[in-house]
Amino acid sequence: MIELKQVSQAYGTQDILKNVSLKIKEKRITALVGANGAGKTTLLNVAANLIPAKSGQVLLDGRDICQMETIEIARKIAILKQTQHLSMRITVQELVAFGRYPHSKGRLKSADETKIREAIAYMDLENIKEKFIDELSGGQRQRAYIAMILAQDTRYVFLDEPLNNLDIKYSVEMMTILQKLVQELDKTVIIVLHDINFAAAFADEIVAMKGGEIIREGPAESIIDGETLKDVFDHEFHIIRVGERKVCVYFQPQPDREIKRSKDCFI
Amino acid sequence: MVNKKQVTKKFVFLAVLILLSAGLYIYARVFAKAFDAGIALTYPVAVRILGRSASSLLGMAVSAALIAVVSLAFQTITENRVLTPSMLGFDSVFLATQSLLVYFAANIGFMARLFANPYCNFFVTTGIMLAISMLMYGLMLRKDKNHIVFLLLFGLILSSIVQSFTNYIEVLLDPQQFQQLKAVTTVSVTNMNERVIVLAAPSMVLLTFLFVRQSREFDVMLLGENHAKSLGVPYSRRVNSTLLLIAFGMAVTTALIGPLTFLGLLAVNIARELFKTYRHSILFFGSILMSVLFLVLGQGIVELLRYAAPVTVLIDLAGGAYMIILIMKEHRL
Repeated sequence: MIELKQVSQAYGTQDILKNVSLKIKEKRITALVGANGAGKTTLLNVAANLIPAKSGQVLLDGRDICQMETIEIARKIAILKQTQHLSMRITVQELVAFGRYPHSKGRLKSADETKIREAIAYMDLENIKEKFIDELSGGQRQRAYIAMILAQDTRYVFLDEPLNNLDIKYSVEMMTILQKLVQELDKTVIIVLHDINFAAAFADEIVAMKGGEIIREGPAESIIDGETLKDVFDHEFHIIRVGERKVCVYFQPQPDREIKRSKDCFI
Repeated sequence: MVNKKQVTKKFVFLAVLILLSAGLYIYARVFAKAFDAGIALTYPVAVRILGRSASSLLGMAVSAALIAVVSLAFQTITENRVLTPSMLGFDSVFLATQSLLVYFAANIGFMARLFANPYCNFFVTTGIMLAISMLMYGLMLRKDKNHIVFLLLFGLILSSIVQSFTNYIEVLLDPQQFQQLKAVTTVSVTNMNERVIVLAAPSMVLLTFLFVRQSREFDVMLLGENHAKSLGVPYSRRVNSTLLLIAFGMAVTTALIGPLTFLGLLAVNIARELFKTYRHSILFFGSILMSVLFLVLGQGIVELLRYAAPVTVLIDLAGGAYMIILIMKEHRL
């Protein structure tokens, strides 16, 4: 159970989070959405104790997260930030093995080996497990990192814009994997998403942020709504139904004539 | 996966090479010394020279080992493979501290005694260096640690500022104080501050022990700050404690043997290439062996050639070239 109580955070004089309170629903995918600078990533970082809150509390299973040892938190929460360049050459298997660190402190026992093997199998990495991370494609690399988090075996999985730099196929694959994690492994996933349509299609809950505050939260179905989204993003949305899901169209298709005219104006 | 047998084989191989170089060094010293001095190599003469060589060897081994562990730890916490503490001007900070001590010692009686006693001097200097380097890190290194060029520039500027400052202080000293200062600061491989060995050797063992014990945490830190935190490494605390130990190690080795700018870089990176692993438990020892080998072999060659050039020149030549190659490789310049 993760609960944020009146959490504030600021960089210098600029407030990033203003008295945010949030209860994260168990065994669901919760998407954090909002415009750039709305405080989504900061909220994620504070909730996972990557950065301490200026004021307020984050409770993990009823205990203040600041009072807990980092290693204890790491057994419950795994957070994946945008993957950065690695300063070492390691294989997929070695990367996944790092996921066991909070449990084994680096001394792998047979139970750890089993978890590593399971994580690799679950993410379908068996035929590339001997490959080096820097030899992989973007999608494969992302899957390797998810496997590391799986090996970490935490109840909560936090992801910060995992779809960045992934093409459509891999993005959908990634979101499908996250859905599987929730349905098959009972994990709770919190994810920062840029594209509202991915949130609409895959998230169970949506938390909409603006200017450091949560302005809407609820089941995805209720948030994907023209008025609400206009509030969140300051932009017009057209909501279209495709099958059971809603799709947001956020560009204004312009008639050909108008484009021509605007070009003329330029010349 | 790391093959244990192979690693042991490489360790043994390096150790044998070190022994051979030590043999070369002693041979060069005993014969060259006796020959140059024009004395017949009688038994007592040989024993005296041998005794001195042994203590020089110990001093070299201690400093080289210290430089190696400190450089490896520094590269891990700053997430780069090119910079070492000596390249950021740590040794010039040591020189500045010394000159400041002498300057103030002139005015206050008990300070003079403090400076003259090598142990007190050592502790005071180390303390001041700790403070200065922590300040330096806090202000500069934490923010921009992936920006190698920026850091190099910073190191360059820092060393030249500190050097000019040292020069300025030296002008203010009277000749006797200047002599005092030079006695402490002109240490080098051939002119070691041998009284410090008694302190340096245990510090080296302690430091190596502390670092090696944290190897697994260092391994995780290689994944980068965010991943390391997510995996439960208390990152900031670990970085701070490591920095303290690094400043301490640098103070010890600079007091003992003077600046050796590129030794750490050479030793750590060649150890990485040789062992082909990221594991600190192996790399720490690999770097130590490599570093000792370079210094002893280099010094052996220098003695054999009758001091055609000091060993630092040899190491800086090789190390400097290697650094340029590293920067070009890593940044594809």
